[in-house]
Amino acid sequence: MATTTAAVTLTSDLLSDNMSVSASTTCMKAGTTADGIDQIEYGYVEVATGDEYDLIATTPTAAKASKLFVKNHSIDETYYIAITQNSQAIGRLYAGDWMFIPADFHDAAADIAITSNGGTNKVEYALFHEGTALTTT
Amino acid sequence: MATTTATLTISSTDLLSDELALSTTATLTSAGNSTGLTGTNGLARKTVAGGHAQYTLFAAASHTDDKAHKVYLKNMSTTAAEFFLISIHDVEVGRIYAGDWALIPWSADTTGDDADFKIDPSANDMTLEYMLFTDE
Repeated sequence: MATTTAAVTLTSDLLSDNMSVSASTTCMKAGTTADGIDQIEYGYVEVATGDEYDLIATTPTAAKASKLFVKNHSIDETYYIAITQNSQAIGRLYAGDWMFIPADFHDAAADIAITSNGGTNKVEYALFHEGTALTTT
Repeated sequence: MATTTATLTISSTDLLSDELALSTTATLTSAGNSTGLTGTNGLARKTVAGGHAQYTLFAAASHTDDKAHKVYLKNMSTTAAEFFLISIHDVEVGRIYAGDWALIPWSADTTGDDADFKIDPSANDMTLEYMLFTDE
């Protein structure tokens, strides 16, 4: 089994008590501690403004423990990508922002889609998953 | 100005033939500028005794919509099969299994249906650790 570790550290001086929160997880398949997620799709794309694009072209197996990392590499602070799923606004990643989210892909309409705003955004992404349904040729 | 940073490290020596060592840091700023995020609810924990049902963790109407809010979540369960199903309005985003964490951008969009941030535990007495960074 593959072993993939994802760790985060959040630090902030927003509160009087300086905050430092750390968490680490080994990315396991759904419902088990014996078998790690062993498949990945990793890429980098430039997304022009205008249309909405599916970030993940193939559909991972639904209702699993898939995880999606996305980083907006743009440097203009007014640029952002809008993240949507099934036409529902999820959130915005401005220049330099990243996200690490669970991805359910519960049906064919549940693709993660992105729309570039402000200008052409440069987007890095990695999907850690348990299998995808490849399209037959 | 407050400074809030989020650092991610993803590593694996055996997922690919080449070692994976991904690391990135973001300074969390307001939408469209370089001003640091100015609000947070602080780090919190909630144990959901009632088990499987959907609960609203954050209501979109309580926040400025279409900004750069971020939500941190961690499932404190140690039972591998237990998960929180995360939804925005009625769209299932994904499942956070025992020990898993997530950092999720949140629009708090109120155009049409409110993009409320919801959780649904798969079992009784599951505990979620969470924190909201707001851009109001």
